[in-house]
Amino acid sequence: MPVYIDISRCIGCRSCEVACQRVHGGSGHINVHFVGDSASIPIFCHHCEEANCTVACFTGALHKEGERTAFDVDKCTGCGLCKLACPFGVVWTNKIAHKCDLCEGRDAPACVTTCPANALSTDFELASRRARSRAARAAAYGGRR
Amino acid sequence: MIKVDVGLCLGCLSCSNVCPSQNITRTETGEMRSIHWKRCKEECDLCVEFCPAKALTLVPFDETVPEPDVSFELVACKICGSRYATEPMLKRIESALPANMQKDSEGLEWIRVCPACRRNIEAERATKQMVLGRSRKSP
Repeated sequence: MPVYIDISRCIGCRSCEVACQRVHGGSGHINVHFVGDSASIPIFCHHCEEANCTVACFTGALHKEGERTAFDVDKCTGCGLCKLACPFGVVWTNKIAHKCDLCEGRDAPACVTTCPANALSTDFELASRRARSRAARAAAYGGRR
Repeated sequence: MIKVDVGLCLGCLSCSNVCPSQNITRTETGEMRSIHWKRCKEECDLCVEFCPAKALTLVPFDETVPEPDVSFELVACKICGSRYATEPMLKRIESALPANMQKDSEGLEWIRVCPACRRNIEAERATKQMVLGRSRKSP
């Protein structure tokens, strides 16, 4: 399952970036962006259902494996078409392509287990549960939701 | 020896990446990408197999044929102006993706925007949504 972001929780510490680099031999797939002074947000692969990168890839190196957009390094020729086909700019090429693999082989993605603010999770329901509880608090006490 | 159909070549560097004997060389300056195929005697066809455009074929060795060269002017990003791809590569993406995928919700033709600017746009959009949600007062 993909990693979901609750950006209202992101504190911009870039721990996810470092964690990603740590488990991927120095080349990470997350970029934390700072938008003015109002927010920080990690940008990484959404594992799109209909993924443009898999359409552009002519060798089948990028392909869907269930919900995951998987990458077979042995098939990559480094043509860079995937990088150009990704609307979010989250496939990189450095001779060969690299992108988020959801930390295949680990119990949970390193960015999720590392994030000290609990902004990242693999649970789609979590973000909507939080939004509902914020709305409920606002209805009970007034103010923000 | 490799024969190149210059009209088909995308300038993607696949061939140069897979060549085991460094017979396909690349030079990239700020604005141009050039690829040069040396006359090779190998009986290997990795470059032919891994060309996304099927632009390469193997032909018998011939010393009199000049070594092929292709140059591409790199396309500048619509937003930041940095050079990020060759025109045939972008054209290939445009022909591979359905038309409704090629503009985002705000009508931006994102294929003509470099990956770094695409990430910035995504960050700005998500922030706008978050700030909107936070500032919305309860009824």
